[in-house]
Amino acid sequence: MAFAGPVLLKRIPDDPAKRKLINIEEYIATGGYESLRKAQSMTPDQIIQLVIDSNLRGRGGAGFPCGSKWKFLPKDLHPRYLAVNFDESEPGTFKDRYLTDYDPHILLEGIAIAAFANRISISYIYIRGEYHLQAKILEKALEEAYARGIFGQKIPGTDIVHNCYVHRGAGAYICGEETGLLESLEGKRGWPRIKPPFPAIAGAFAKPTIINNVETLACLPYIIEHGADWFKAMGTPSSAGPKLFGVSGLVNKPGVYEEELGIKMSTLIEKYAGGIKGGKYRAAIPGGVSMGVLGTDQYDAELDFDIGRKYNVLGLGTAGVIVMTDKTDLVVMLRNIVRFFAHESCGQCTPCREGTAWMHKMLNRIVAGYGKPRDFDMLMEIGLSMGSMPGTTICGLADGANWAVRTFLQKFPEDFKARLKSDQVQGVTLDAQAAAAV
Amino acid sequence: MPTMDVDGKKIAWDGKKMILQACLDAGMEIPHYCYHQGLSIVASCRICLVEIESPDPKDPAKLLKVPKLVPSCQTPAVDGMKVHSISPKSVANQKAVMEFLLLNHPLDCPVCDQAGECYLQDYSYQYGRSESRFDEDKAKKPKKDIGKHVVLYSDRCIMCTRCVRFTREISGTGELAVFGRGHREEIDVFQGKSLDNPLSGNVIDICPVGALLDKDFLFTQRVWFLKKSPSISPFSSGGENIFIEHNQGRVYRIKPRFNANVNKWWISDDIRYGWDFIHNNRLQAPVSKGVPQELSAAQGIGQLDQAIKKIATTAPGSTMLILNPFDSTEEMFLAAQWMRRVDPQAWLVLIEPKVDGQDQVFKNPATGAVTYTLYAEKAPNRRGAEKVLAKLGGNTCKLADVQGKIKAGQIRAGLVLADPFGHGDQALEATLAGLETLLVLSTRPDGLVPQATLALPVCTWAEKSGVFENQSGLIQAFKQAIAPLDNTRSAGSIFWDLMDLAGTYDSAAVRRMMSDLGLAEYAAVTLPEHHEKIELMQFTEL
Repeated sequence: MAFAGPVLLKRIPDDPAKRKLINIEEYIATGGYESLRKAQSMTPDQIIQLVIDSNLRGRGGAGFPCGSKWKFLPKDLHPRYLAVNFDESEPGTFKDRYLTDYDPHILLEGIAIAAFANRISISYIYIRGEYHLQAKILEKALEEAYARGIFGQKIPGTDIVHNCYVHRGAGAYICGEETGLLESLEGKRGWPRIKPPFPAIAGAFAKPTIINNVETLACLPYIIEHGADWFKAMGTPSSAGPKLFGVSGLVNKPGVYEEELGIKMSTLIEKYAGGIKGGKYRAAIPGGVSMGVLGTDQYDAELDFDIGRKYNVLGLGTAGVIVMTDKTDLVVMLRNIVRFFAHESCGQCTPCREGTAWMHKMLNRIVAGYGKPRDFDMLMEIGLSMGSMPGTTICGLADGANWAVRTFLQKFPEDFKARLKSDQVQGVTLDAQAAAAV
Repeated sequence: MPTMDVDGKKIAWDGKKMILQACLDAGMEIPHYCYHQGLSIVASCRICLVEIESPDPKDPAKLLKVPKLVPSCQTPAVDGMKVHSISPKSVANQKAVMEFLLLNHPLDCPVCDQAGECYLQDYSYQYGRSESRFDEDKAKKPKKDIGKHVVLYSDRCIMCTRCVRFTREISGTGELAVFGRGHREEIDVFQGKSLDNPLSGNVIDICPVGALLDKDFLFTQRVWFLKKSPSISPFSSGGENIFIEHNQGRVYRIKPRFNANVNKWWISDDIRYGWDFIHNNRLQAPVSKGVPQELSAAQGIGQLDQAIKKIATTAPGSTMLILNPFDSTEEMFLAAQWMRRVDPQAWLVLIEPKVDGQDQVFKNPATGAVTYTLYAEKAPNRRGAEKVLAKLGGNTCKLADVQGKIKAGQIRAGLVLADPFGHGDQALEATLAGLETLLVLSTRPDGLVPQATLALPVCTWAEKSGVFENQSGLIQAFKQAIAPLDNTRSAGSIFWDLMDLAGTYDSAAVRRMMSDLGLAEYAAVTLPEHHEKIELMQFTEL
């Protein structure tokens, strides 16, 4: 397996000076919309089977096999909707934005292919509110595509007219959760829904809906063009294909880099991101803060969908790598991460609503210098009590908070224990007996 | 019938039910806040989580252990499943949720109305921790005046969203919503709006904690002193089932009583807040031509008896009994029986109840199902009265004809069972102005009392037992809640004595009489019983 050169980034040169926004003429001139034409000569079942055979796993964070997800749509139930998850709010993630800044049509072609394969009536590109520039880019690109008949026409072989709209969010991470996205799309509070019913059966506006990440859809034109074997030749048996890796933090060249899945994190940092900046590698978030942290001895971790099982993190997530050195205060880092989750918790279910806020307040107190020895165990206990994996919350935001706290405490206990010596509560010294009892 | 094993106990149910509902129906408690049988399921409080073992679809004899906790309010009960609500994982979750809910909850129990009927208190004792491990500052939220009857203490709110779902699904008015996000979110009304619908008081009932409180009841009484008497609403023809909650002879509040066929869990605000008339503006002494009289009970009814007999014996057919559809059927029956015994040609008149526009039907906007009906007919027992009149037959006429008959000298004496609300006062006062002898049984000192030859004080529905028949023909009994106020007695007891029946007024005996005369449906009716379930509180280790 070797990486066969830029795939998704083929129209985005390495040299920043040479990058520009590709319009539809330039897109078509470089082979764009050929895959759509090829797909329309296949049957929907063939396309779905091709996607299954390629082992394409979702690039939004969960890594669910794309073809299998498509198969959940009930046969003969119409209309069906596609929701494109462009919420991209996971801290450390900016790959979808990078792609859209320069090559918006790759997403549109992916949408058109998915719509053809699944007989979709309406595709909604749900884009986070903060990406107002990217929303404009997409709308312009959509105009161009409509003018060429890519959208707004009957799907060949059916009476279904496929339309595509950009829908802007309003600044909530929880609207990147698939059912939170659907609620927001419908104009309601972005509170994730309880499942069942599942979105494939009753999703947007109670109709069968598939939800796919931007990058996942962007892979489709290339899979159609080159086939499943080509796609599987890149990556590992469990994690096929190329991947956009976002690298940020203490590296010399932060940015989005494309490589095959399974590449070592050390390679990504040193070969692509210009190496560690101003210090020695200490820790790294592998795929967005929800995944937790990799330890000092895990620098060579392979970045694929098995990373969770092998390295005690939640998973690969969005492959947004955040690098920390020995100059980084890890306690403050965890506080910042927990502050994010406390701020973004939708507040629907008790453990996440109260637990994230509690951990945030506790970490604030620790950073301010008033951490107590029992805070270590309390943080672990609170973290472990929440999440959709133990089943105690409705969605996975709490799992993100859970894994962030758990991995930081497990892999860097000295950093925390060194700060938890206070016998004071908010600056007031307790007497020795009371302090001992704590 | 499908069965499942819950903590070693066999629970059976019929139809499609969630685990929690099947357990509650079988009398087994699994703690829950956000779940309510009358509202949609949100599974957001997370305290009802249980561990389950579900039959393998490929081999139903085998049980597959589900690795994560599942909400029992949202998970369908399956034949053969095993549920563990007291396993270590479930208990750890219950404790965790309790701790989380109490993190920011103010220590208000000593001043909170909900104390004694608070889910947070009860579950904390049964399922929670005894100490708090929270060392930070509590989040503070404001108190809000959100409606005519309701006040919201946001700092006590546990965000179960029952109230929001109520205004969306039951009243269909959607005044309440959640604002903000995460741990700072609050329930509130929209700017410039208020909680303003005829069912607004129900949110107080469904709030599991002391967040939504009744302005009317605020700080008036501790709930453990209140006794609950099952009764029926006297305010309309709906026959809504209620509890009259009282202590030491005073009523403090009215709450709904669940009835699957009538009002389910809800009552309207006019029922909930209409009971002032029990303790205010009461006639508590006999009055003659506006002058209070010192008469004993026996003397009072003696005078009434003579006044009617004086006319009836010399001029039969010139006496009249006016019934209002507010008394129990038994009382109206006894009154009519006595009247006809004294004067077989006595006129029986029924005042038509006030009808306030149209019935107001509340629907769930999402499903279209009817959730509650606010009946326009503002009296509880027109049908009972009509049955009595039909049974006795003989001379009956409408109120409209009475004035003419009085003017013509056809009617010279009248006995009125006055209504407690004064709906028809003006018309009645005008109609009966020229009546030679006007006898009134009244709960209030106004209305017909000032012009009455003799007015005797009687008690309200809360102070007696009997039956009402509602608009759909359902005969429902209400039980006496408080003793009749000093110097008052029920209309039924007056006629019981007039008829020389042995002992004291017994509504059951009157129902037997009615049944013997052919109104067989009254034989089976019994007064409702209510027994407080005393929970044996098992507290978990500290």
